[in-house]
Amino acid sequence: MRGLFKSKPRTPADIVRQTRDLLVYADLNTPDTRETKREEKMAELSKNIRELKVILYGNSESEPVSEACAQLTQEFFKENTLRLVIVCLPKLNLEARKDATQIVANLQRQQVQSRLIASDYLEANKDLLDILIGGYENTEMALHYGAMLRECIRHQTVARYVLESEHMKKFFDYIQLPNFDIAADAAATFKELLTRHKSTVAEFLSKNYDWFFAEYNSKLLESTNYITRRQAVKLLGDILLDRSNATIMTRYVSSRDNLRILMNLLRESSKSIQIEAFHVFKLFAANQNKPLDIINILVANRSKLLRLFADFKTDKEDEQFEADKAQVVKEIAALEPRDRP
Amino acid sequence: MSDFMKPQYLPDSASYRLLDEIGVGVSATVYKAQCLSIDSTHDHYHHHRDVVAIKAIDLDQSRAGFDDIRREIKTMSLLSHPNVLNAHCSFTVDRRLWVVMPFMSAGSVQSIISSSFPNGLSEQCIAVVLKETLNALSYLHNQGHLHRDVKAGNILVDSNGSVKLADFGVSASIYEPNYSSPGSSSGCSPSLKLTDVAGTPYWMAPEVIHSHNGYGVKADIWSFGITALELAHGRPPLSHLPLSKSLIMKITKRFRFSDYAKHLDYKHKKFSKAFKDMVGSCLDQDPSKRPSAEKLLKHSFFKNCKGSDLLVKNVLNGLPSVEERFKKSKIVSDGNKNEIHNDGEEVESEGPIVKQRRISGWNFDGDCFQLEPVFITMETDDADSKLDDSVSKRVRFGGESIIQDRGSELAGGSDESSLSSPCQAVEEGTLSGGRSGVECEEEFVVKPVEFGGETIIQENQSESGGGSGESNLSFPNQSEEESQVDGGSGDRGDGGVVDRETMVEGLMALKKSLDEQRQEVDIVIGMFGGEVIISREDQLMQVIERLKMELDHEREKRFELEMQIEFLNLQLQGLSGNGGTD
Repeated sequence: MRGLFKSKPRTPADIVRQTRDLLVYADLNTPDTRETKREEKMAELSKNIRELKVILYGNSESEPVSEACAQLTQEFFKENTLRLVIVCLPKLNLEARKDATQIVANLQRQQVQSRLIASDYLEANKDLLDILIGGYENTEMALHYGAMLRECIRHQTVARYVLESEHMKKFFDYIQLPNFDIAADAAATFKELLTRHKSTVAEFLSKNYDWFFAEYNSKLLESTNYITRRQAVKLLGDILLDRSNATIMTRYVSSRDNLRILMNLLRESSKSIQIEAFHVFKLFAANQNKPLDIINILVANRSKLLRLFADFKTDKEDEQFEADKAQVVKEIAALEPRDRP
Repeated sequence: MSDFMKPQYLPDSASYRLLDEIGVGVSATVYKAQCLSIDSTHDHYHHHRDVVAIKAIDLDQSRAGFDDIRREIKTMSLLSHPNVLNAHCSFTVDRRLWVVMPFMSAGSVQSIISSSFPNGLSEQCIAVVLKETLNALSYLHNQGHLHRDVKAGNILVDSNGSVKLADFGVSASIYEPNYSSPGSSSGCSPSLKLTDVAGTPYWMAPEVIHSHNGYGVKADIWSFGITALELAHGRPPLSHLPLSKSLIMKITKRFRFSDYAKHLDYKHKKFSKAFKDMVGSCLDQDPSKRPSAEKLLKHSFFKNCKGSDLLVKNVLNGLPSVEERFKKSKIVSDGNKNEIHNDGEEVESEGPIVKQRRISGWNFDGDCFQLEPVFITMETDDADSKLDDSVSKRVRFGGESIIQDRGSELAGGSDESSLSSPCQAVEEGTLSGGRSGVECEEEFVVKPVEFGGETIIQENQSESGGGSGESNLSFPNQSEEESQVDGGSGDRGDGGVVDRETMVEGLMALKKSLDEQRQEVDIVIGMFGGEVIISREDQLMQVIERLKMELDHEREKRFELEMQIEFLNLQLQGLSGNGGTD
């Protein structure tokens, strides 16, 4: 109680409880209640949500107090408040939705007795993630659910669940949704899933190599959508260049189909795509155990490639890029065509 | 409940017909367009034909990182306030991102002023515009967002007099796409800004948010105060100028020689005490003493504020349309398209010194208008302003101190060489100041072009005489040769005037640059066994970079001197008239 709030003698836990009660009310579609009464309750709910946010984030006058945050977090996950928030989110107004999203995001990082209890809660309530991911199919909810989701997959177990779920396949479509803000949000989540938890990602990619890269190549790298190709080739570079994905990289750069796709990207008129494609292409060239068909493709295209690289520059001066390029040129120039043994 | 979403604006280019271009930049064009969509997301079919503004951003050319654009678009689509311009929807059309926004038919207040009110608006109209703007700021600040670019150019007016704050980062700079040269190596200024804004959202760590709220919000208030002056005088006061070239350019772009005469007679314009007091409080040097947007709304200046019909009657009546104004500005300024969309991102760059300056120059009894001649002297090179912008960014990259140190006029195209500028600048100081920058430039422009070419390296060597083989390849080396050309000593270490620290700093930078150049040459040689192709374009780029630097520096020198004089003038007047605020 002691001065945690300017005037209200309610504890953070009290506010969580009240919010929960109001959410339960909002969740029930009680047709008999009068409209005005409902509006009143919804307004009160919004106000409570705002208060929770202020406790977690502070405001212009005060910094958040960790003790209060811990109390709030504990009470929040003691019962099904998170579920209620997620389920009722479409019933809130825009400002309350944004506040709620920020609360959920913040709670993922709050520790109670040095435990991230949000992670425990989500592990026991994985179906909530299904709702969040499904949000990408709902224009109105996508950005809110998407932001929540991205915070939730900070937890490794949650990320693993999503990676291994059927939802993973849907991301290939979400990334190309017509609404740019939603598609970009899905792309950001996709990237997070594939880069954040190294060991989990490596495990996922090894287990799911075939379908994943088949989809990745055909739906993303060969998409007709410029922005999809650009983001995909960038992410591919990030993934393959990650040390923890070394075996996946080796496998990827041994495929002539993959090489063909990357060479096509190298030829794009977009500088950004070209540069990103180069960062993947160089792995094919640098591979010291190139399969025969890779060597033969490179040899067959040698003069074209060398000509391309001669004029190939980044906008910014980039030493690393130049060094890589020199290396690639050297590798290709030194290649000898070989027959099958 | 969900009426804030506007699903009737379909994310599909076929749903819009582009009508007129109303703004243009290197990586973005703004169109007036007609929305032809049939609403199929609802059960009923519903035609509507309203006019929208579409900003088409070239994603391949845009300087802003893709993630920054994404964050800004997202922020925009989650804002909902009558005084904030939001996005109806956004989608990609090949390499372009189309952001569909409400069309604000009267355009920006800045464009209204420059078209029809060169001497500024009446106080009553100012009050209306400012009050609406404050509503927007108050909303944004409550949401934890900063605008970071509050200025008349970002305040839009609709035909009914409604006012909206626009340009939320990259996405909404309607009518004012950022004009910046692509391929410029720095890119730091706009991207810094974007990254900073993108750091605002609540899902960042609390302490990050706090530093933003504490510092940033009040930065918007400062800009708001400057905007008030802009509305009152028709342009931001000189005291608004930090000593950064971009802002110099911004002003020069906005003012033509012919405007000068018109400005002469309005220094006697009178403003109410409430207005002065309100603006003065925004321009408090101590951010914590500046009032919040919410508090400002309660200021007596806004007490008897009229409604938006006042704007319709007094400002919008008889105003040429946005399209007409754009066409006209296109004709008038020809290549100089920046007039309608100067980039104001330097606002944040104000160092303590600059702030000091701004404050000192801040004086409400009209004195600031005497600084007018500055604009005239800067007037000559309008066509080059595009180049200047990118240069100034590069120079700023090296830090304020370099600018203070007279800038990097000899700096070559790379950031490293601009770091070595203190050394060069000193040498430069011994050169004659009166020569024309361009002429002089011709002489050593050749050198960066030669870089990498073997035969030319030899030529270069013979020219510079004492220089070692490696140093011939470096940009800073040009300073050496330059001083020879002008009869100075060719030895960098020879500048007796130089203080040790500057010297060491310069030499270190030179060393770094040398190393890099050597590396580069090694790579090149290793690659092709001597057969090097440097594209003509790159050569020209280097030439241009240097020309830009040179010109820019000359301008800055001139400007600083003018500033100095005017500043002293101000102080004198302040002493005699005792009218200054602190």
